[in-house]
Amino acid sequence: MRSWFQVLRPISPRARLTLGCMSFVLPVVVWCIVSYVPAVWHPQMLITDPGSAEYLQAGMHMDRHAFADAVKEAEDDHKPPPKGVPSNPIYLPAPHEVAAAFYTAFVTPPPTQDGPWLHQSLWHSIQVIFWGFVISSILGVPIGILCGTYAGFARLNEPFIEFFRYLPAPAFGALAVAILGIYDGPKITIIVIGTFFQQVLIIANTTRKLDVALVEAALTLGIKKLKLLSRVVIPGILPDLYRDQRILLGWAWTYLIVAELIGTSTGITFFITQQARYQHFATVYAAIMMIGIIGLGTDIVLAILGKRLFPWDRTLDKSA
Amino acid sequence: MIRKGAISTIFGLALFAMTGVSPSSAAPLTIGYSDWPGWVAFQVAIDKGWFKEAGVDVNFQWFDYSASMDAFAAGKIDANLMTNGDTLATGAGGGKGIMIMLTDYSSGNDMIVGKPGLKSLKDLMGKKVGIEVGVVEHLLLVHGLKELKMTEKDVTLVNAKTNETPQVLASGQVDAIGAWQPISGQAMKGLPGSRPLYTSAKAPGLIYDVLAASPASLAAHKDDYAKIIKVWDKVVHYINDPKTQAHAVKIMSKRVGLTPQEYLPLLKGTHLIDVAEGKKTFKKGAGLDSLYGSTKNADDFNVANAVYKQAQDVNSYIDPSLTMAVK
Repeated sequence: MRSWFQVLRPISPRARLTLGCMSFVLPVVVWCIVSYVPAVWHPQMLITDPGSAEYLQAGMHMDRHAFADAVKEAEDDHKPPPKGVPSNPIYLPAPHEVAAAFYTAFVTPPPTQDGPWLHQSLWHSIQVIFWGFVISSILGVPIGILCGTYAGFARLNEPFIEFFRYLPAPAFGALAVAILGIYDGPKITIIVIGTFFQQVLIIANTTRKLDVALVEAALTLGIKKLKLLSRVVIPGILPDLYRDQRILLGWAWTYLIVAELIGTSTGITFFITQQARYQHFATVYAAIMMIGIIGLGTDIVLAILGKRLFPWDRTLDKSA
Repeated sequence: MIRKGAISTIFGLALFAMTGVSPSSAAPLTIGYSDWPGWVAFQVAIDKGWFKEAGVDVNFQWFDYSASMDAFAAGKIDANLMTNGDTLATGAGGGKGIMIMLTDYSSGNDMIVGKPGLKSLKDLMGKKVGIEVGVVEHLLLVHGLKELKMTEKDVTLVNAKTNETPQVLASGQVDAIGAWQPISGQAMKGLPGSRPLYTSAKAPGLIYDVLAASPASLAAHKDDYAKIIKVWDKVVHYINDPKTQAHAVKIMSKRVGLTPQEYLPLLKGTHLIDVAEGKKTFKKGAGLDSLYGSTKNADDFNVANAVYKQAQDVNSYIDPSLTMAVK
């Protein structure tokens, strides 16, 4: 136990695993307590029998004290009072409801004959993210490295990028539709706009952290400009660059929902908004979890891959 | 240099998009539709293959309602399903649409819901109403108040997103809200005892839903649109016929992720308009029973609420000829 709190020291693999699992178990336990122990919260009553109150229907949610008033009113009139059980608001479904919705979502056939199944919608979303991230990286990574290497280049670019990164990507939605149409083009654009500008700045900063001694040594040995980049700078920052990209990929995911609301309704976002419109919140939570699982899964795979690719990099051990 | 970078991003994307989707002249007509019973109705024709039968190549694309208007305004789709008032608003912004066919008018789905204890719009005198300013429910409220010789100055409007009105009503910070189904239904479910004070059933024709086509597409594909109107007539009769209604409701409810039982009330609050009735509604008149009168009313409302500044030439937005030509 004490070993968990040693400053800047790695913890044992066993403790790592335990703590990692706990970080998921704890929130779920809290959720279970709030959902299954009526004494904790349950601010509403779920009507099971409307009794004599004509404005009630079975299945309605009602505030506890309003329900108490309704019961009292009926009892005073010597009429059958409404009956109900304590419940949480409709927007906080219990874990088992979400689990059931998770399963149901995958086995429910698509709403239209040629419509996508849920796994096809998810795959569509993943492709949008993939292309958005690839296009952003093709431009952002080289520009970032150049900015980090040459102060002049940085000065020419970074003030504008600093300005642009504050512009909210979703605000470009209608513009993107006007230029690129209604299908995947504008969606990918939003992800690129959301990722690219942060990417340049982050990668430029990472490049600046490269050990100056390495560059000076190379210059002393008479290296050519281009070779300095390809032989010294890029290999020097590669592990950090890789980690930056992992973080930025997560960043790209956060833009998915706004991106997919633009143009035709597709992907996981169509699923989420459609379910939310009819207050099927259990399904909404399930869909949000799917995104989380895909995101975390990708990140774990990339982390393991990173360890293989850069065995000499010790900071990777700490983070992953 | 980074400007160049930004521009090349966009350029690169444009290339990407062009290879992905290439709009060519032989492409099918693209029509936007969204979650409203009168528009989901088209799903019946799509699923049953009636467009193919009629020899017209259409590609219905499902949108969020406001995203469908963005796409139409940008000229990325040929036609869109929207309200007559929103057709004006889109047109005032530069994305002109010609209303060539009516799908329905709201007949109960749009409503002003009052908290428990309130019984009619009269009770709203001096009270707060949560409503999305400039949107159809606002128009409905103004219309309802007018019947009682009241104006919107007699109430305090609290601007709220229609999607959020159930929570706004439940919070107790307003006395009534305006919303359409299914949101209005959720609002009443969320605050037992609340009830509709006024609904669109009392103002038939206040809000017409239409198929609006871009002028260029209409000129190039008149025959195709004529065929679509004929298919629509078939859809309305299929949905209204008690023998086939259950099957139609099944198709429609599936489209939006509800059970048929949940969907039926939403359909009942919508009055579908077949071609015969459409012909009557396309006759010029000042009342709400004419599309012209109703659209003029919406135009006045839009100008009064600064949805746009310049009053629109209503006649230029309406082309009854295709509906009238159906035999």
